[in-house]
Amino acid sequence: MDSAQATVTIPRQKSRIYILKKRLPYFIAYGVLGITTLPIIFMYLWLFLNSFFQKMKFGIIPESFTLENWSFLWEPIVYRGSELPSIWTATWNSFVFAGTMTILEVLIGVMSGYALSRIQFPGRKFILTTTMLLHAFPSISLLIAVFYILNFFGLYDSLFGVILVKTALQIPMTTWIIKGFFDDVPWDVEWAGLIDGCSRIKVWFQIVLPLIKPGIASISIFSFLSGWSEFLLLYTFIVSGDNITLASFLQKLTSDPNLVNYSLLGAISLFYMIPVLIFFIFTQKSLMQVSSGGIKNA
Amino acid sequence: MRSSWKKWRLPVIMLGPFLILVVIFYFIPVILTAILAFTGMDSSMRWEFIELNNFRKLLADPNIGLILKNTVTYVLFTLVINVFFGFILALLTTYFIRWERTSLFFRTIWMLPRITPPVVYALLWIWFFDPSEYGLLNSIRSLFGLPPVSYLTTQPMLIIILANGLIGASFGMIIFSSAIKSIPRDLFYAADVDGAGHLSVIKDIIFPHIRWPFMFVTIWQLLSLLTSYEYILLITDGGPVNATEVLALYSYHKAFQNFEYGYGSAISLIIVIIAFFISLLLWKVFGMGKMIRPTRIE
Amino acid sequence: MKIELKNITKSFDKKTNTIDNLNLSIEDGEFIALLGPSGCGKTTTMLMIAGIYKPDSGDILFDGQRVNEVEPKDRNVGMVFQSYALYPHMTVLDNIAFPLKQQKVKKEERIQRAKEAAATVHLEQYLHRKPGELSGGQQQRVALARAIVKNPRLLLLDEPMSNLDERLRIEMRSEISRLQKKLGITTILVTHDQQEAMTLADRIAVMKDGQIIQYDTPMALYYQPENLYVARFIGTPPMNFLHGSVNNGILHLHNRKLPLETRLLTKSYNGDVIVGIRPHDIQLGSHGDLQLEGTIQFVETIGHAKLINVLVGDTMIRFFTNPFLDLVPGMNIQFSANSSDLHIFDGKTEKRILKKKDLKAIRKSNAVNQILPHAADSKKSG
Repeated sequence: MDSAQATVTIPRQKSRIYILKKRLPYFIAYGVLGITTLPIIFMYLWLFLNSFFQKMKFGIIPESFTLENWSFLWEPIVYRGSELPSIWTATWNSFVFAGTMTILEVLIGVMSGYALSRIQFPGRKFILTTTMLLHAFPSISLLIAVFYILNFFGLYDSLFGVILVKTALQIPMTTWIIKGFFDDVPWDVEWAGLIDGCSRIKVWFQIVLPLIKPGIASISIFSFLSGWSEFLLLYTFIVSGDNITLASFLQKLTSDPNLVNYSLLGAISLFYMIPVLIFFIFTQKSLMQVSSGGIKNA
Repeated sequence: MRSSWKKWRLPVIMLGPFLILVVIFYFIPVILTAILAFTGMDSSMRWEFIELNNFRKLLADPNIGLILKNTVTYVLFTLVINVFFGFILALLTTYFIRWERTSLFFRTIWMLPRITPPVVYALLWIWFFDPSEYGLLNSIRSLFGLPPVSYLTTQPMLIIILANGLIGASFGMIIFSSAIKSIPRDLFYAADVDGAGHLSVIKDIIFPHIRWPFMFVTIWQLLSLLTSYEYILLITDGGPVNATEVLALYSYHKAFQNFEYGYGSAISLIIVIIAFFISLLLWKVFGMGKMIRPTRIE
Repeated sequence: MKIELKNITKSFDKKTNTIDNLNLSIEDGEFIALLGPSGCGKTTTMLMIAGIYKPDSGDILFDGQRVNEVEPKDRNVGMVFQSYALYPHMTVLDNIAFPLKQQKVKKEERIQRAKEAAATVHLEQYLHRKPGELSGGQQQRVALARAIVKNPRLLLLDEPMSNLDERLRIEMRSEISRLQKKLGITTILVTHDQQEAMTLADRIAVMKDGQIIQYDTPMALYYQPENLYVARFIGTPPMNFLHGSVNNGILHLHNRKLPLETRLLTKSYNGDVIVGIRPHDIQLGSHGDLQLEGTIQFVETIGHAKLINVLVGDTMIRFFTNPFLDLVPGMNIQFSANSSDLHIFDGKTEKRILKKKDLKAIRKSNAVNQILPHAADSKKSG
């Protein structure tokens, strides 16, 4: 071996430039991330501070702590001379909407997901293909036709109607993800169950379902949050004040150019975001996994 | 007869609810949209076939030029942010920042816009750019003695693109991060030992590994952007004076503001057809058919 | 290149030290092995030498020069990974040429040298394939070629053969040995396979919990294990162990007494001991001065020998016999060993309590004994 070629001079490690050059990419990385992330942090921090302080000095420094902005929790908001429905009505409606939708979606999803993952029947391939295509299909462009259908069934301006629509729009994605969970359950387990005397349904319910519990949990959380955050469908298909949900409640106040009480809006926003933040903090890891399975909004 | 019921019972029960929902809220709406597009249905909900009049009207629509231009601008620029910034975020948080906690922190922050309910997210943007001294940007301007600027009227499209880009970037970030993370660590070590610099690692190791996710995110986001309008509706509602009106939102406005259901459906139909072809492309490019596995219990 | 590690400490969680005050010195051109079970820190040590990890404290010296802060790319080392870490989208040729490309070597020279490196590991006909189209052994050769193509001053091998089947492993062993001799390059092998380490390395550093327990030649490790850990780790089948005690220079073992005083490190040693006997050092009958008896539990037929498992008291002892002897479970047999072949360790500290033995004398007596020479030893001693 040519030893002259083999020896590469080792840069003197004490050399400042060497170390600087080595670290520069990392400095830039942190710099870029920091600068781009800061506005986001700022926005949310500001939302928080605004709701607890009377005013913001120069718009950014909070002054005099107050709970006044949170008074909507115990007294109704007067809006254009008339009282808005209580925040608790809206909260209850949002909860019913998100909760019912989650139950429906998970229930239907575990059934269809299992069928598509594990049962052989004619047309399976066609249904699978359709499910996948629907997963990518922009359901939102069908809103007008959906409106017609809701109207036809007399479900316009009914929470239950919108629950059905929302469930339907999400079910291809949910089914697909749940099918993925079932796919990961080893066949041996199911074979063993059949040999030990269970029927297919029993195997599904007693052996396979418990195995995918964590998956079901994350799908449930994901569905609930999606329902809790839903705006467009509710805005389009719900008109009466009794059926108002938090999203519409907040939107109503936001869209009024005469009401620029950002402190109140901030407080309501925070209140609205509580479940989202709680779930996010505790489940963000699995949330990120599920959402990479497919979120439709840009 | 009985034996055939026994064979079919399980898939029918398990898939029934799923199929009913999909038929009522996907298949029928698609057909309905296609039919409605040729009617002049309005708030009286009468079926009145008018042949191709809706499409003629669309071509002659004085707004159509602006709307198409807006759509292209919105989709292209947001797409670029989504894909490239998403990639940069993924690269920074997985490759340059080696501390898992730190990168998780950044990724979590970037997930916030995605999980924030659209109404709250839109509020944040409206607030950020509010023309009065309550707006964050304007209050900072006032610190320097600058007069407030109404960004939402001067730069509406830019704000729409940024707001959507911020959300879309996190989608790219999640997908690209998990793709980069799935590259065996040994490959990075090997490249290090082999003398590769950061650029070479990105070009020779990372990029070849995320080619497919890259295409997937691009097509997927193209589809989403083309058909979604929720954030535009909330932030500018297409205004001021159609400055941010895109095709999908135009369809919505025609149907639910002007009650021209027939005309709105015609516009939707065009979007559905484009979306269908993009979905098909997604299908072809990624050979998703391969993901369908046979079952192993007969 | 001479490598020195001085008081290296590395921790990943700030609570426990993965590497604990480790010292190691490797001479120029030497082939050493880091041997130990998984999780003992051997790969961490190697990655620190490669520059991928940085030590928390201590120094790494290359030819006397401190390189702690030097980036891997500036260290001029070649490395073969356990997973081979081939770049999946590049052809074999591109993979091998990759390090040269990073050094900005001109294209023609790059290809020329990559081809030469490929030829040294007999890969000429696979140059345009992708790694996915190669067998495990071929991938291994690509990794090897890539590691040596830039004429590194140091070759690092991280469990390079653990993903190969038995036959290929033996083939690759001789390949690596040949290559290392030919290039005369300082080489470090990380492995958990003691046979591999014994076969290849000039010296072996046996590691445990981030520390080097013994750093010696294979022969010395085999015949003069410093402690129970090394004795247990080295040799197949493993050493047999019996519990006994030493009193006034006399070893008490299963009612037998053997005088030891001349061989004890400290004459006054008293206490419980663990006595180790290699299976090769035991024979049927009563030729040796330590005689034991027990009941055969089962017999493993190997072909060139039989491996007998005998229960003595409550300890299982294994040793080889002539394969044509009719030995069946349940038989009571007598067997013996020479007291000079015993390895005796302190029952508490597990350290060797006997003086070092003379390797030459052992070699002589081994030639006389009709014990099957171990595959690994025969090569070293021959």
